[in-house]
Amino acid sequence: MPKIRSTKTTTPSSSLSFYYHDSPAWQILAWSEDVGILKWMLYIIVLFSLFIRCCVALWGYSGYNTPPKYGDYEAQRHWMELTLHVPIDQWYYYDLDWWGLDYPPLTAYVSWICGKIGSAIEPKWFTLDESRGHESPDNKVFMRMTVLISEYIIYVPAVYVFVKWYYRKSTQKEQLLYFFLIVMQPSLILIDHGHFQYNSIMLGLTIWAINCYSYGYYVIGSIFFCLALCFKQMALYYALPVFFYLLGICARDKKVGLNLFLKLGITVIVTLGILFFPFLSSISDLQQAMIRIFPLYRGLWEDKVANFWCALNIVVKLREIFQIHVLAKISLLATLLFSSFPSYITFCLSYYSHQPSLSLYTLSAVSMAFFLFSFQVHEKSILLPLMPITLLIGDGEWEKSKMVMWINSVGLFSLYPLLKKDELAIPYFVLFILYNWFFSSSLSSTLFLQSTAFTTLFSSKLSAIAAVLPLSTYMPIILFHMLELFLPPPQRYPDVYVVGNVVFCAGWFGVIYLGLVKWHLERLRQLERERVTDTKKVD
Amino acid sequence: MKKNLLIFSTLIKVLLFPAYHSTDFEVHRNWLAITHSLPVEQWYHENTSEWTLDYPPFFAWFEWALSQFAPIADNEMLKVTNLDYASNETIYYQRTTVIASELVLFYALLKYLSVKNDTIHKIVVLSIFLNPGFFIVDHIHFQYNGFLFGILILSIVLIHQKNDLASGIVFAMLLNFKHIYLYLAPAYFVYLLRAYCFEKVTNDCSKFSLARFATLGASVAGVFAISFGPFLLLDPIGQLSQILSRLFPFTRGLCHAYWAPNFWALYSFMDRVLIFCAKRLGVHLNEEAVSSVTRGLVGDTNFAILPNISPRITFFTTIAFQIPSLVRLWKQPNYENFLVSLILCGFASFLFGWHVHEKAILLVLIPFSLIVGNRKEYFDIFLILSVAGLYSLFPLLFHWQESVIKLLLYIIWLFFVGFGLSSE
Repeated sequence: MPKIRSTKTTTPSSSLSFYYHDSPAWQILAWSEDVGILKWMLYIIVLFSLFIRCCVALWGYSGYNTPPKYGDYEAQRHWMELTLHVPIDQWYYYDLDWWGLDYPPLTAYVSWICGKIGSAIEPKWFTLDESRGHESPDNKVFMRMTVLISEYIIYVPAVYVFVKWYYRKSTQKEQLLYFFLIVMQPSLILIDHGHFQYNSIMLGLTIWAINCYSYGYYVIGSIFFCLALCFKQMALYYALPVFFYLLGICARDKKVGLNLFLKLGITVIVTLGILFFPFLSSISDLQQAMIRIFPLYRGLWEDKVANFWCALNIVVKLREIFQIHVLAKISLLATLLFSSFPSYITFCLSYYSHQPSLSLYTLSAVSMAFFLFSFQVHEKSILLPLMPITLLIGDGEWEKSKMVMWINSVGLFSLYPLLKKDELAIPYFVLFILYNWFFSSSLSSTLFLQSTAFTTLFSSKLSAIAAVLPLSTYMPIILFHMLELFLPPPQRYPDVYVVGNVVFCAGWFGVIYLGLVKWHLERLRQLERERVTDTKKVD
Repeated sequence: MKKNLLIFSTLIKVLLFPAYHSTDFEVHRNWLAITHSLPVEQWYHENTSEWTLDYPPFFAWFEWALSQFAPIADNEMLKVTNLDYASNETIYYQRTTVIASELVLFYALLKYLSVKNDTIHKIVVLSIFLNPGFFIVDHIHFQYNGFLFGILILSIVLIHQKNDLASGIVFAMLLNFKHIYLYLAPAYFVYLLRAYCFEKVTNDCSKFSLARFATLGASVAGVFAISFGPFLLLDPIGQLSQILSRLFPFTRGLCHAYWAPNFWALYSFMDRVLIFCAKRLGVHLNEEAVSSVTRGLVGDTNFAILPNISPRITFFTTIAFQIPSLVRLWKQPNYENFLVSLILCGFASFLFGWHVHEKAILLVLIPFSLIVGNRKEYFDIFLILSVAGLYSLFPLLFHWQESVIKLLLYIIWLFFVGFGLSSE
C-alpha cells in the first residue's frame, strides 16, 4: 500500500477536526486523491476488506475437530441439511439434541437455499444425519463463502448507502474513510468469518431499515426490520428504539399519523405472518417455534459474558438465590428500566424536533442496556451495540475522541475468551493491532487516548479523573495478555483470566452505557430549551 | 512510512499462517532437522527424506542457525525421522522465520532508499516489499526468497555506490546461499571485470589491473573457501562430488513438474501438437516418449517428434541470448546497463534454462522493479511482465481456499503499482 506523501498539508475540508487524519488509512486516501484515483478507492477498500476476511477464514471455526458436539459451524451446517431433507412443519421438532433449530424462520430459509446450492456441488456435505460432524476443507470453503457472499450482498452495500446519507456533508475522502472503518470492524469479522455465524445478515438488514427510515420509506424500512428480527431474534435489542421512533413520527402529524400507524402495523403483521406462515397451522407448532427461539431454560447467560448479571454473580450467586423464572422477570424489569429513558428521548426527538432519522445513539444505548441486563445473553451479542456505535465513526459529537475505536477495542477484548477457545487468538491479535494502527495516527498515541475518550464521555469537569486514568483500557488489556501468556492461572481459580476479562469489560460497558445516557440527557435539555423559545415565539 | 510498511506487511503475513503450504515446507523442516541433529560431514549425505539438502553450504548454515531457536516452539520438528511433521507450533515457527529473515530485504530496501530517495523509488520499494510474488511463494507456498533477494539488492546497492569489490563479495555469498542466482552471474562477471579490474587511465582509455583482478579473484575464492572449505577438509573428494551432485541434479527433467512458462514449455506444447497431427496421419510413434512429457519431476523428458534437448543445448542457448546485453555492458559499464544486463541474464536463463521453476520469474521481476522509474518504456514492459509473471505463479496455490486470496493480492498490488508509478 503506497502511503507516500505527507498529509500535513491536506487540511480536512470540514471544520471538524478528528483523529484519523494522520492514520495510514487516511494517508493512502490522501495519496490516491493526489494521484487522481480516489474514485477507484471504494472498490479497493471493498477488495481489501474481502482479502482480510478471506485470510481470517483460513483459521479455525467454532467446534473445529471437537467431537462429539462440535460447535456453531456444525449447527449452521446441520440446519442446511435439516431444512433440505425434513418437512417444514418438523423443523422445530427434529432431533433437538443435535443442534436443533433455535433461530427464527428466515435463518432456516437461508439455510435451505445454501443447502440447495451446496448439495448441488457435493451431496455428501448435506445428507441427513450421516453428514453430522462433516468437516472437509471443501465444505469449509463453501460454508465460508456463504457467509462472505451474504455479507457483501446485504451488509456492505447497506453500510455504503448509510455512509453516503449520514455523512453527506463530508468530503468523498472522509466518506470513504468512514466506510473503510466500518467494514473493517474487527469483532464482526472475527465472529462471522472466524468463529462462524451470519450476524452480518441481521445487522445488514437493520442498517437497511435505518437507511429506509432516513429517506422516509417507513413501510419498506419496517419490512427490513421484520426480516432482521426473523433472521435472528437478537434484533429485538433494537426493537424499542425502532418502535418509539416510528411512534413519534406517527404522533407528530395527527392527520397522516394514524394512517401511517395503521400501515406500519399491517406491514409488521403481514411480514411476520408470511415468514411464520408454515408454522401457523396449529397453536402447538407456533408455541414450539417460540420455545425454541426464546429458550428460557438455557439460563440467565451463556458461558461467561461481560454483562451485569455475570459480573454480579462473582459476588452474589444469583442462580442459587433465585429460581430461573424469577431471574427472567428481574432481568426483564431491569432491561426495560434501563432502556426506557433513551427510548423516550428517541420518541421526543422524532415527535418534537422532527429529526428525520433513527437516532444511532438511542440504538446504541438500548442495545447496550439489553446486553448488560437482559436474559440469555451471549458474549457475541456485543456485536449488536457495537454496530450502531461503529456507524457513529465520523459523527461530529464524538469525533474529537476516538470513541468508536476505543469502544470497539474493548468490545473485541470481551470476545477474547471465546476466540481463544476457537483457536482464533492469533487473528484476534492481528486484527486488534491492524484496526488500531490502521486508523490512528500512531500506535503509541492510541495507548494514551482514552483520557480524551473520557472527557468526551462525560463533561469536562470530570477530566481530572480522566487525567488520573490515562492508561485505563489499553494498558490493562496489554497487561492481561502478557500475564495470560506467561503465567498459568492458579489451580484454585482456573477461570481467573476469564473472570478478570468479564469484570473489566462489564465495567467499561457500563461506563459506555452511562456516557450514552448522558448524551440523551443533553438532548433532553436541548429539546426543553427549544420548546421554551418556541412557545415564546408563539406568545 | 517505513515503520508502517513493516507493521502492515507483518500483520498480513501472520494472518496467512494457516494457509496451504507446499512440500517445500517439509523440505525446509527436514533441513532444520538435518543441520540440527547431524554432524556437518553427513549433511549432504543424509537421505532419509526424499527432500535431501540441495542448497549450497551457506544456506545449510542458515538452517542450522534457525534450528537453534526451534526448541522454543516444538522439539519434534528437529527429528530427521519425523517425516511430514507439521504441528501448529512447527508451522508458526517456520513461517515466523520467513517473516524474520525478510528483515534482510527490508534492510536492503532501506539502503536502497538512502541512495535513491525520491517518490518513484519509494513506490518501487513498497512494490518490492509487498510484491504478491513474495506473498505467494514465500508466505503461502513456503520459501525464503525475500531473504535472498535482500542480499541481491544489497549487492546492487553496493554497485550503485561504486563499491564493486564489496558487491562482488556479497554476490558470491548469495551464490553460496542459493545457486539459482548463477542465472544472474554473467552480468556480475562482465561488469566486475570491466568496471573493477580495468583502471581508468584517461577518459576513454583504461588499463587492465592485475592487482585488482587478483584482489577480486581472491575475495570471491575466499567466500567459496569459507563455504565449501569445512566440507573439503573433512573429506576432500567425496564431499565435493556429493555436494555438486546435489546442487546440479541434471537427472531431473527439462521441464519442472509444473511447466515454467518458458521456451521449452512452448517446445513441449509444439511436440504435443505434432503428436496429435501424427496420430491423425497414422505415423507410428515411440509410445514411451508420448507419455513422458509431463513427468518432469521423475526423470528425463523425451520428445516424440521434435529432437530431444540436452542440458548442453539449454546452456548454450541461454548463453547465446545473454551475450548481446553483456556486450553492451562491456562497452558501457554503468549502473543502468548493469541492471538491464542483470535482468536480461535472468530472463534468458528463465526462458531457456534446464529444469526451470515457475518461481524463477521473480529473478526477472524484482530487479526489473529497480529500473522501472528510468524510462516510460520500462514501465510499460514491467506492467505487462508483472501481469503475466505473477499470474504464472497462480498454479502454485491450487486449493480453493487461497483462490480468492491470491487473486485479491494480485489485483490490489497491480492497482497501486500501476496507478502509483504511472502518476509519477
